[in-house]
Amino acid sequence: MKTTARIMVPIILVLAISLLLQGHNLPGGGFIAGVLTTVAFALVYVAYGLDYLDAGVLGRDVEPGRGIFEHRSVTAFRRTFILGLAIAVASGLGALAFDEPFLSQTFVIVESIPIYHEIEVASALAFDLGVYCVVVGVLLTILSVVGAE
Amino acid sequence: MAPELALVATAVALPFVASGATPLVYRLVGARTGYFGAAVAIACFALAGSQLGRRGAVGVPWVPSMDVSLRFYVDGWAVLFALLASAIGALVFVYSASYMADEHTLARYYATLLAFMGSILGVAFAADLLAVFLFWELTSLCSFVLIGHHTDEADSRYAARMAMIVTVGGGLFLLVGIAFLSIAATEALGARSFDLAAMLANADAMESSLRELGLFVPTLAVVAVAAGAKSAQVPLHFWLPNAMAAPTPVSAFLHSATMVKVGVYFVGRLRPLLGGDEWMVLFATVGLATMTAGAALAVVATDIKELLAYSTASHLGLMVAGFGFQSVYGAEAGAFHLFNHALFKAALFLVAGIVAHEVGTRRLAGLSGLWRDLPVTAAVAGVTGLSMAGIPPFSGFYSKELLFEAAYEAAHAAGGLAWLYPAVAVFASVLTVLYSLRLLAIFVGERPGAVASVHRPSAALVAPPAVLGVATAVVSVAPQLAVDAVVEAAIGATAAESPDVHVGLPTHLTPPVAMSAVTIVAGAAAYPVLGRLQRAIGAVVGATPIARPNWWYDRLLSGTEAAGPRVARTVHNGLLRTYVVWVLAAASALALAGYAATTGLVPAVEGVRVTPGITLVLLVAVVAAVAVVSAPSHVVGVLALSILGFMVAIFYILASAPDLALTQLVVETLVLLIFLLVLEQLPAFYADTDRLVAARDAVLSVVVGATAFLTVMLASPDIGAEPTAIARFYATEAVPAGGGTNVVNVILVDFRGFDTLGELFVVSIAAMSVVVLIAMRNRGETR
Repeated sequence: MKTTARIMVPIILVLAISLLLQGHNLPGGGFIAGVLTTVAFALVYVAYGLDYLDAGVLGRDVEPGRGIFEHRSVTAFRRTFILGLAIAVASGLGALAFDEPFLSQTFVIVESIPIYHEIEVASALAFDLGVYCVVVGVLLTILSVVGAE
Repeated sequence: MAPELALVATAVALPFVASGATPLVYRLVGARTGYFGAAVAIACFALAGSQLGRRGAVGVPWVPSMDVSLRFYVDGWAVLFALLASAIGALVFVYSASYMADEHTLARYYATLLAFMGSILGVAFAADLLAVFLFWELTSLCSFVLIGHHTDEADSRYAARMAMIVTVGGGLFLLVGIAFLSIAATEALGARSFDLAAMLANADAMESSLRELGLFVPTLAVVAVAAGAKSAQVPLHFWLPNAMAAPTPVSAFLHSATMVKVGVYFVGRLRPLLGGDEWMVLFATVGLATMTAGAALAVVATDIKELLAYSTASHLGLMVAGFGFQSVYGAEAGAFHLFNHALFKAALFLVAGIVAHEVGTRRLAGLSGLWRDLPVTAAVAGVTGLSMAGIPPFSGFYSKELLFEAAYEAAHAAGGLAWLYPAVAVFASVLTVLYSLRLLAIFVGERPGAVASVHRPSAALVAPPAVLGVATAVVSVAPQLAVDAVVEAAIGATAAESPDVHVGLPTHLTPPVAMSAVTIVAGAAAYPVLGRLQRAIGAVVGATPIARPNWWYDRLLSGTEAAGPRVARTVHNGLLRTYVVWVLAAASALALAGYAATTGLVPAVEGVRVTPGITLVLLVAVVAAVAVVSAPSHVVGVLALSILGFMVAIFYILASAPDLALTQLVVETLVLLIFLLVLEQLPAFYADTDRLVAARDAVLSVVVGATAFLTVMLASPDIGAEPTAIARFYATEAVPAGGGTNVVNVILVDFRGFDTLGELFVVSIAAMSVVVLIAMRNRGETR
């Protein structure tokens, strides 16, 4: 289980990020990428336990004996979905600065970039990033809190 | 001349702004916040007064797509109401500053009182029906807080809740009435509109449109219920006497110029719009019934404030009856009495507060001779009390005389049963004279030994009622002055024809003068036998509890309170499976009912083409579904469920929906992982299966499955059909407008971004609920 997780988790995460970025033109998007990222985290969680993220990856000390709600990871997850909501709303408010209705999107095509030649930058990507953060934060919060039960 | 938008808007907004600043002011000046409130009220008075004589509608758009705007309508009637509310508001604030000085929650008290005054001004000036509704409900809300000022007293909470339920319930009727009027406006004004000013300008078109739609009588009825609840008309009068649990300054404000007058005000406002025979039968009857019942109950009252509260209901009945009569005298009686009543009733309530404050009791029995200790108060009570009784030459006499005239005219025109109107009006007025004399009796004669000592009231307590007493005296001596200044314009706004109002002492004998004479003589003659009369009325009231609305209110409330837990025990019994049953059954029932009501329950099935690949995948899915149900262990069940899920994903791929397939796959993986987490915790054996429960679950699953099937069949377009306009728009515009070739994603983040944002909030709320629920359980919170 641990060996599988070691190999799978990086692949899943890279796949999730590529799904998020390509979502505008190919199958993918914030929601799918978010769920996939959650799967990666859940895999770590099942294989190593919740403390591993803090102790093993980030090298921080985990204070034992505190409730699940004070757990560092859970706080981080909760912050993630609040951040996601903020990004989504802010990307919508951004349109107001250009005298457009709330949440209207646009895109620009940036030319002459090495390797890619041209890249399309859609403002919707910011919104999608918000979706991504909310999905990851919400699912992981629920998963860790319910899982701790 | 058109009104000034800035001035009117400031008059309405200022109290709300001041209300927000009150906690800060209270921190600075403490109990003297009352003078701050008085200053705000005086500013509003000046702003409203500056619009005197102007007429018209001004406004700014608010929700332009629905033609809702923040519109103000100014005419004599609105200005009169606003002037009364702000003037009496100023006096009440001054009075409160010393009367309420020892209380603790003063910041809340003054903030609510200011917001309340702002709501009243809003009702007065609002020209948009939705804005009227908004302010109308705000007055109910504020009065709830004000009546329930003493939050630690059960009486106070009971009264506040009752006022809230009755008046907010009435407000809901108003909302229905607004909907009716707006529907009628579609035809009369050419567009769906909430513009009260435009409706009043086209009153005839509105009336014929309402009659055509068959909505005239329903509109009249719901408006009557709304106004009746607010203005304490029979049979919804019962909240008003209970509301005397409020602090006395609040009672003075509520009963004289504001809360209860809102209903009367709105009746006067709609009089040109809905006036007609039905109008007269409804409002004249209800008004006179209230006038009589209120006066009778005031006669048997044992408490000064109770007497005044019932008397308020009675006088509100007089105003409503006045507006009910179709002649111009009716409008004169309603508008002029609204003015007079505001002055004398506010003064009397403040007097009652002084008596309670200085003597220590409000009981009528055993009090007398207070004029020795409270000379100024007694003088004010004398002028205002006689005005309340309608004794010439005091102000109440003139407006009551106008009511008699209107009732006599109506009876003379209609004949027959209509002669009951003047008869009942006279009878109720006799009772009014009686209870007014009963109230004044506490000031005259010798002081009984039982009353120990009477303090001198401070000047700040006596000044506000004295001002009102002087105002009443001025109107009594020179009624034409008040009429010319503010009242005539108000009458003009509520009557169909332009009035030519002359008031004064009668010079020769007319039927109304004779009626007044009868009233006064009979009232004075009946006073010596007051005790016997009180016993008789008390016996009638006591013998018929079932006829009292209060009894019904209590029954209704206790019934609801008892039914609540009973329903909760059935629906909310703590078992997860019961919740699932209710949620799924309700969702299916609602969905099926929706289909039955719109498209029909039988989908058109034709030309379904299924490739062999899809057939095979779906067959495997069905087998997996059967395996889930009959699985011997949890592990097998979870794996079978996963097979089902992955088969659905493959089906999506075959049906060329890669986005859906991807989502399905990922979600399925996550679900499998979660199951792995909790698998060990699940009990291996639950209980022996109850056949009945199993049958219920089977039926439910079939219903849910059928609903889902129907939904898919009804929602999916025919195979051969052209894509709809919306589908074509999405497909063609995705690249040029959204810059993405993945149409699904472009719809999610661009075209329907708002929906997605809403879903994000829903998901976040779900996460917070989970966290909160689990946190609460860990804290072990019980009831």
